[in-house]
Amino acid sequence: MLAQVLFSGLALGSIYGLVALGFAVIFKATEVFNFAQGMLVVCGAYLAVTGVTLWNLPFPLAMLFLVVAAGVIGVVIQALLIQPLSGRPMLSIIMITLALSIVLRAAIEIVFGPSGRPLVTPLPSGVFMLGAVRISQLHLIAAIVSWVCMAGFGLFFRYTSVGLLMRATANSHEAALVSGINVNRMNRLAWAIGSALAAIGGLFLGQLQLASTSLESIGLLALPAVVIGGMQSIPGAIIGGLLVGITEQLAASYISPKAADIMIYAPLLLILLVRPWGLFGQRELGRV
Amino acid sequence: MNNPGSRAAPAPAAAGAARRWIGPLIGVALLLYLPVLLTDRSMFGVRLSNMQLLNLGLTQINLMLIAILGALSLTYLTGVAGLISIGHAAFYAVGAMAGAAAGTQWGWPFPLVLVVAALAGGLAGAVAGLPSLRVRGLYFVLSTLAVHYIAIFLITEYQLKFFDVVGIPLKPASLAGFELNTPMRWYFFLLPVVALVYWGLHNSMRTREGRALMAMRDHELAATSAGIDVRILRLKAFAFSSAIAAMAGALFSTLMTNVTAEFFNIDFAIQFIAMIIIGGMGSLRGAVIGAAVWLLLPTIITGFANQAGDSAGIVGRLFLDNKPQLVNLVFGILVILLLLFAPGGIAGIGAQLRERLGGGRQR
Repeated sequence: MLAQVLFSGLALGSIYGLVALGFAVIFKATEVFNFAQGMLVVCGAYLAVTGVTLWNLPFPLAMLFLVVAAGVIGVVIQALLIQPLSGRPMLSIIMITLALSIVLRAAIEIVFGPSGRPLVTPLPSGVFMLGAVRISQLHLIAAIVSWVCMAGFGLFFRYTSVGLLMRATANSHEAALVSGINVNRMNRLAWAIGSALAAIGGLFLGQLQLASTSLESIGLLALPAVVIGGMQSIPGAIIGGLLVGITEQLAASYISPKAADIMIYAPLLLILLVRPWGLFGQRELGRV
Repeated sequence: MNNPGSRAAPAPAAAGAARRWIGPLIGVALLLYLPVLLTDRSMFGVRLSNMQLLNLGLTQINLMLIAILGALSLTYLTGVAGLISIGHAAFYAVGAMAGAAAGTQWGWPFPLVLVVAALAGGLAGAVAGLPSLRVRGLYFVLSTLAVHYIAIFLITEYQLKFFDVVGIPLKPASLAGFELNTPMRWYFFLLPVVALVYWGLHNSMRTREGRALMAMRDHELAATSAGIDVRILRLKAFAFSSAIAAMAGALFSTLMTNVTAEFFNIDFAIQFIAMIIIGGMGSLRGAVIGAAVWLLLPTIITGFANQAGDSAGIVGRLFLDNKPQLVNLVFGILVILLLLFAPGGIAGIGAQLRERLGGGRQR
């Protein structure tokens, strides 16, 4: 039982970690706390429905479409909504991401209908036994792909020159501007990556459940994940995602499904009170 | 004193005073006539179609009045005190639950129920505001989110323990034997309540505490050095705002006669943020406008969608099939456009227009 719960917790947690990573990339680059991240997950699920079911694209091509389209959505959001609001008070920026998610949800429900759609892809969906644990192949693949994406992003961020430019921009917009970096382009790239990572999460979540707008609340679990991990920390987001996934599964199976929320948000409140910069984040020093 | 124009001064002053009173008087007259109009659905004996009345009903107006209370409480917190809460639905729920406990479980009279709800909300607000002693900015926003989930969980448990899944039934409200059983009676009960809260908040901004709050919002350090204890002040502001929200929650659930904890989710709280952004942040008038737009526009849109649907066509069908989605789409786009092009909201646009048209009328 415990091993079973831990397995599904880790698998789901990996997806949350992936979504949270996208969230953290956006936050690091543009300091936008993106409440639309959950809706970007839903967009990913419906992009997969479009590519795989509606257009009958070959699977690799459908995945390419998913990632590129999600990236474009991210760039459009940054260029149209976020960039014009830079320097505005925090509530404006929070509210524009909330409004964006309202608009996206309405648009998706008008185009695809308010009820969910099953998402069937050629990914294996069988089950095999490992000792006493039933391993769902889809969960396993979701976890593996999430880890590959996270590792890929880590390598990109750490070792490529574009990654270096992104880190420099995140570190200080002014200093990056002075050194001739196109800050807006870097921010758009960050939004494209963040949105694409959310969409990949949506692909798996849509397949494990149903592609519907109620996936948003699952996608929003990235919020506590990021805060618990530390908002400025990339590995923190991943570990936060894993913690949230495991906590959710443990609470749901040992206490009650209702208890999952409070078992996630009560520790979140505790962390905010005791260690607001998160488990892995850097302490922010206030300046006068 | 001895400039030539001073002799003509009394006449314009009298005219100015008349002009100052005529607007509010017309406003009050309209507010008193509105329920009659919406109940009789005719004006001076001439019958009006639903379309001409924009499909509005008096219950819609009553819900709007309650929403104004919620928007006022949030505008006080966000616009005046500079604290952001996205978990304000929790205080609505606290008020609704306290109202249910006092009214249904203990059988207390309705006015007392409202007082209990406000007190419970204020207490919950003071507890929920505790994180503001340690964290601020985004972290505080997140703590309100966490508080929301925790509060809703506890309230759901309470509801399941003492009532059932369907929700909490509330006793019909009555004031000293006078039952609030028609929309008209509700209207004439809610209108003074809203006016009183508006007037109270309006005046509180001119007290020492109110000015201290605004000083804290504008520059916390400067406020501290002026001898203001910002920590206590923040807690007070949060508790005060929560008390108003809780009272609105109790009123809301009594009007709806039945309420469940799940109803007060995050989307419910987001509505109020949207209202104060649509109306214009930091202005009480903006909160009223925003709540009015948020509550009345959907009915109007739906009405037009119905009519467009009657005249068929693909667009009409699309409208008819997606009414709630259409409303959300319009609101989402409205909020985005206002944020991008008119950060002052509708109240801000109004002020700008007045300035431009009136050639900068002196205040």
